[in-house]
Amino acid sequence: MPLVTTEATVLQAFPYSETSKILRLLTPQNGVQSVLARGARRPKSRYGGILEPFTDGVASFYYREHRDLHNLSDFELGRSRQRLGRDLVRFGGASLLAEIILRTGSPQAAPEVFAHMRASLGALEDAPDGDVEPVALARAWSLIATLGFGPALDQCVGCGVDLEPGTALFFDYTAGGLHCGRCAAPAGAGRIIPGAARTDLLSFLAGEATALDRTAAHWQLLGRFLAYHLIDAESLRSLDFLAAALAPA
Amino acid sequence: MGAIDDLTTELARLPGIGRKTALRLTYFLLKRTPEESRRLARAIETVVERVRECSRCGNLTESDPCGLCQDQRRDPRIICVVEDPADIGAIERTGEYRGQYHVLGGHLSPLDGVGPDELNIDALLRRLGGSGGGGQVDELIIATNPSVEGEATALYLQKLVRPQGVRVTRLARGLPVGGDLEYADGVTIAEALSGRREL
Repeated sequence: MPLVTTEATVLQAFPYSETSKILRLLTPQNGVQSVLARGARRPKSRYGGILEPFTDGVASFYYREHRDLHNLSDFELGRSRQRLGRDLVRFGGASLLAEIILRTGSPQAAPEVFAHMRASLGALEDAPDGDVEPVALARAWSLIATLGFGPALDQCVGCGVDLEPGTALFFDYTAGGLHCGRCAAPAGAGRIIPGAARTDLLSFLAGEATALDRTAAHWQLLGRFLAYHLIDAESLRSLDFLAAALAPA
Repeated sequence: MGAIDDLTTELARLPGIGRKTALRLTYFLLKRTPEESRRLARAIETVVERVRECSRCGNLTESDPCGLCQDQRRDPRIICVVEDPADIGAIERTGEYRGQYHVLGGHLSPLDGVGPDELNIDALLRRLGGSGGGGQVDELIIATNPSVEGEATALYLQKLVRPQGVRVTRLARGLPVGGDLEYADGVTIAEALSGRREL
């Protein structure tokens, strides 16, 4: 039973029995791993309050091959993400990223996904108040690209022809990208997206947050795209939460 | 499965009880007189039948409204919002609080599918006078757990309640009394530093 010591980000934490917690960790070399933190809920736990969602640190756990749950031995705090809980959009955005990784993640090495998640949590935490929403959108789309299922926006998903920038085209959720004018498949599940929105989407896929006047259509596009491409077509709970957080009071 | 297995399985579902302890408890019950075991069974049945949620505050109670809501000596102008009924006991043990309570039934957690609709928030708004309620509340003390989700829940409530002109406060967070700074974790020390107060 080797002791694995690795950088890790807590994606999810939930109670297990009266005194312990189960954590879903994202690690660079071991992908998503579940660990049992014994005694973490005791008042005098040595972990104190650090085993919280989105916390960065260095985790040590006893790795048991062919087992789904490993025993956490230590967690050294890198950066606490308590500030994410003090803004509903930051919190919802971080939850969305975690939910996407949890739905797609595996115990395989994923250093790019790990690096992306760490950078994204930092970006969400540090974004100025007015910029949180585009940052959340950009980090979600760029995570999708990092995971390898980003939509094709430069070439037609039907015939492969290069697409002219700035033109309104049909975005096909199922095919995973844009159709050229000749291949347009209006019967398919999708929507026409204007040229400007396509430019914004390209920026988002590169992880760049661009200022937007209206964001509802972007959230809708993201939600529909994810519904088609994640393991089950069920709506992401974090997206529902974000929709409620962004709704006018 | 036999009767012994059945009881062991049910006892093992209780928090903090493993299969081995459950078996030990089963044999302990078998050694007691039948009347003692029946008394325990009746007590469990009674609690299941009689205890329900208070329609006003969400606390677990035998009478509706609960004893805390009916207590005339408690200040109805202050409501302390907690996640679970067990949190009420923790605050009551301090002997420092004389206001009323409201139990949310959890905290916001998108990853676990808990949104505002899953929490007891509508009843809270009614109590604050939103729709046919009393409207006599001056202060809402948000005592959700000091976790990321607890913070988000507190913030959500604050945004919801502030337009009604109610003062919203949050329990302080920081180092435990009698604790040792050297052994406190980094997050707690950071929170204590950011929440420091003038002497």
